Amino acid sequence: MPLIEAIGIGKVYPGGVVANNGVDLSVAAGEVHAVVGENGAGKSTLMKILFGAERPDAGTLMLDGKPVHFAGPKDAIDAGIGMVFQHFSLVPSFSVYENVVLGSEPHNSIRFDRAKAIEEVRQLSERFRLKVDPLPAVRNLPVGQQQRVEILKALYRNARILILDEPTAVLAPQEVEELFVAIRSLVAQGRTVIFIAHKLPEVLEISGTITVMRQGKTVGRVKASDVTEHSLATMMVGREVTLKVDRAPTAKERPVCEVSALHIVNARGNDVVRDMNLSVRPGEIVGLVGVEGNGQAEVLEAIAGLRSVAGGEIVVANENIVPLSVLERRARGIAGIPEDRLAEGLATGASVAENLVATRLRDHRFVRRGLLDLKSIRANAQKLIGQFDIRVSGPGAAVGTLSGGNMQKVVVARELAEQPKLLLVSQPTRGVDLNATQFIWKTIAGARDAGAAVLLSSADLSELLALSDRLLVFYRGKIVAAFLNQEGLTPETLGTYMLGLAEQGFDEMQAGLA
Amino acid sequence: MSLTGTSLKPQSRWTVARREIGRALLAAAIALVVTFVVVLLTSKEPLEAFGTLLTAPASKIRTIGLWIDDAAKLTVTGLAFSLVFQARQFSMGVQGQVYVGALAASYVALSPIGATWLGLPLGIICAMIAGGIYGFIPGLAKAKLGANEIVSSLMLNYIAIDLCNYLVRVSLVPPGSGLLTTDPFPVTSVFPALVKNTRIDVGTIFALVAVFVVWFALYRTSWGLKLRLVGHNARFAEYAGIKSSFIMVSAMTAAGALGGLLGSMFVQGQSYAKLTVLFEGNLAFEGILVAIVARSRPAAVPFVALAYGYLRQGAQLMNIRTDVPAEVIGVVTAIIILLVSSTFSLPGKAWLMKLLRGNTTVPSGTSVAGSAPK
Repeated sequence: MPLIEAIGIGKVYPGGVVANNGVDLSVAAGEVHAVVGENGAGKSTLMKILFGAERPDAGTLMLDGKPVHFAGPKDAIDAGIGMVFQHFSLVPSFSVYENVVLGSEPHNSIRFDRAKAIEEVRQLSERFRLKVDPLPAVRNLPVGQQQRVEILKALYRNARILILDEPTAVLAPQEVEELFVAIRSLVAQGRTVIFIAHKLPEVLEISGTITVMRQGKTVGRVKASDVTEHSLATMMVGREVTLKVDRAPTAKERPVCEVSALHIVNARGNDVVRDMNLSVRPGEIVGLVGVEGNGQAEVLEAIAGLRSVAGGEIVVANENIVPLSVLERRARGIAGIPEDRLAEGLATGASVAENLVATRLRDHRFVRRGLLDLKSIRANAQKLIGQFDIRVSGPGAAVGTLSGGNMQKVVVARELAEQPKLLLVSQPTRGVDLNATQFIWKTIAGARDAGAAVLLSSADLSELLALSDRLLVFYRGKIVAAFLNQEGLTPETLGTYMLGLAEQGFDEMQAGLA
Repeated sequence: MSLTGTSLKPQSRWTVARREIGRALLAAAIALVVTFVVVLLTSKEPLEAFGTLLTAPASKIRTIGLWIDDAAKLTVTGLAFSLVFQARQFSMGVQGQVYVGALAASYVALSPIGATWLGLPLGIICAMIAGGIYGFIPGLAKAKLGANEIVSSLMLNYIAIDLCNYLVRVSLVPPGSGLLTTDPFPVTSVFPALVKNTRIDVGTIFALVAVFVVWFALYRTSWGLKLRLVGHNARFAEYAGIKSSFIMVSAMTAAGALGGLLGSMFVQGQSYAKLTVLFEGNLAFEGILVAIVARSRPAAVPFVALAYGYLRQGAQLMNIRTDVPAEVIGVVTAIIILLVSSTFSLPGKAWLMKLLRGNTTVPSGTSVAGSAPK
C-alpha cells in the first residue's frame, strides 16, 4: 500500500490557468520519489497540494490508505508531511536552533528552554547527517547550510514525508553530494522523500521511482533503473530533444572589454568584488562560474551601469565606461539579459511591443520629436516575434500573460535585435522550458559567432560548460581559477574551486585568463 | 491590463474594456443597494429620498448644470491622480495644488490685469504654474531626499489650505468687512458660461482638452511610455536606461499643473467667480476614486466622473430636500472604493455562481464553482 497517494488531482488557478489536470502520484514508504517535468508542468502545484498550501479542485489525497483533506499546511504538518520550498522561509537574524524550533519551542515551565532546544537540534543534525552548527545566525550561513536548517525544521516537527522543491538548484556539486548523503540517511531511517527536480542526472542518481509530468498531467511512472537521461527527457518534453550547441573556434582578437582592478562595495559597505581583472574577446563566451552571491552578478551589473563602482576601470572598445550612464553604455553596443526577468528585464503590465522598444527610446525609428511612431514600434514587434518565435497573440498583448520561456524570449529578442558588441548574460534559462532553452542557447551562440563578446553567468554548470569558451571561477569576489573549456573539464573540478576548497596559482590561471 | 492604445488588438481591447465596465457597473449597483438600505434605516420616507438621489440631478436645467460642472472638475482631478498613479507615485497633493492655483488665479484676477482681457488666460497660466511648482516639491523631496511622497504631499495640502485661509482673511478681503470671500472677480477674469443660467462654462471644455492632452502624453509620446514603464517596473526602467527619478518628478509636476488648473476652474468659473475659504468642498480628493474606478486611464476618466458626479450631486440634493444626512454618500463612496480597488471579480463571481447554482456544493469542492475555467 502506498504511503501517500494523489488520485486524479485537478487544480485551476484564478484566471483559468490549468495547473493540474488529472495528476496521479503514488509514493511508497521509505523511498526517494522524484517528480520531474518541465517548468509549468505542474510539479510545484502538486507539491503545494500535498502540503496543504493549495486546495485541489478535483481528486483525492490518500494518506496511509485513508482519504485526507488539508485545510492548510498546519494540517499537513500534523499529518507528518514537511516541505522545503525553493525560497527558504527562515528568519535571517535568528540562530539556527531558533529557526528550527520556532513555533514549537521546548518549554521549561513558561520559559523557552534554550539549552534543550540546542541539544535537540544538535542530536537531530547528527542523526540525519545534516551537519550544521546550531548557534550561528542563519544569515551568516551559506545557502547549502540554510537548506539543511529548512530540512531540520521539517524533521523537528516529525515529518515522515519530506518534500524537497528543486533542492539542488542553488547548490554546488559537492553540496549536492552532501545533500544526497543526507537524503539516503533519511530514507535509511524510514523517512520518505519526494524530490522535485529539473536536472536529470541527479534524479537518476538519487531516486528509486520517478513520476513524469507534462502540461499538468502525469505521463508516466517509472523505475529509475529502467530509464536513461535521454528517454526521461523525451518523456518530459514529449518529443526528442538535443541540448547541444556547436561552437566555432575563436579567433584571437583584441579584447572588446577589459576590466581591471575592479572594486565593488555593497550597500552595507562590504566588499563584494575586489581587485577583479578579466577580459573578453570578440566572438567568445566567457562563463562566470560560482555559487550565487560570489560577485558574478555584481560584476555584470557594474559593466551594465546598474551598480556603482568603488574603484577600477572597465574599458570597452578603448574607452573607460565607468562614468557613462546606462543609455550611453547601451549606445556603445552593450546589451544585457538580466538575472531576473520579472524584476529587471520586463515591464509585465506593458505590451510586448512596448517592452521590445523600451531600451531604444532615443532611436529615431521609434521616437521622433518626443512622439512615438506606433507603426514602426508595432512593425518592430511583429518582426521580432517572428524572428524569435515568441508565442503571443499579438504585439499588443501584455507581457505578463506569456509563459516564462516566451517572456525570456522577449528579453532576448530586445537585447539581440541588433548585434551587440558586448553581451552580458545572467541566468538566461532559469525557469525556462527545454524548447525555449534550446532556442536561447542557439541565439546566444549565434551572437557570439557574429562577433559579440559574451559574459555569461549561470547557476547551471551544464549550461556554462555547453556554451562557454573560457570559464572563470568566482569565490568571495575574486577569481580563483580560470579554464579553457576543453574536453575533460568536469563539474566536479569546477565545484572544488567554487566552494573555495582550492585556488589556482598565478601561472596555472594565466592559460585561462588570456 | 493597461489600455496601451499603441497596439492592443481591437478584440482584446474590447474584452478588457467590457470587463472593466462590468466591474464598475457592478460596483455602482452594489453601492446603490447598500445606499438604499442605509436610506431605509435613516429616513422616514425612504422611497422619496432614494428617488431624489436617483432623479434630482437630471430634473432641471439648473441641476444638470451643477452636475456637469462637478463632473468637469472631477475629470480634472481624476486626470491628475491618473497621471501620478500610472507612474506609480502616490502623491496626494491635488487638493493643495487646487488651493495654490486658486490663490494665484485670484491674485491675477484682483490685480489691475484682471480687468483686462489678459485676466482670464493669465489667471489660468499662473494657476497651472503655481500648481506645478506645488506638485514639483514632493517630487523633488522624494528624488533627492527620499521623502515619502504620500506624507509630504498630504502635509503640503494642509499648508496650502491654511495659507489660503490666512491670505483671504488678512489681505484679500476688504478690511473690516468680516467676510471670508473676496470681491467678485471682474467679468474679464471669469470663465464665460456655455449655457445661460447654469454653471456650465468654458472650464468644461478645458476639462475635455485636458483629457485629450493627458491621453496623448501618456500613449503617444516617449515621455508617456517611459512614465508607464517606470510605473510598471521601476527597476526595469532603470535597466533600460530610463531616468526614473526625472520621470517621477515630471509626472508629479504635470499632475500639479492639472491641480492648479482645477483651482482656476473653481475660482474663475461660474460657480464662484471669487475666492472664498474652503471652496473646494473636498472634491479634489474624490479624484482618487475617479482615477481608481477608471483604472488610471484618461479616456475613461470623464465617463467615471459623469457617473460619480451624478451620484454626488444626487446625494447633495437628497441632503437638502429630504431628511437623509449627506454622510450617507460618504458610505456609498467608501463602498465603491472598496469594491473597485479590491479585485473583487473572483470572490464576487464565486459568490454569484454559488447563488445561481443553489448552495449544494460538497465541502471539498466549495472553491471549485467560481474558479472553474471558462
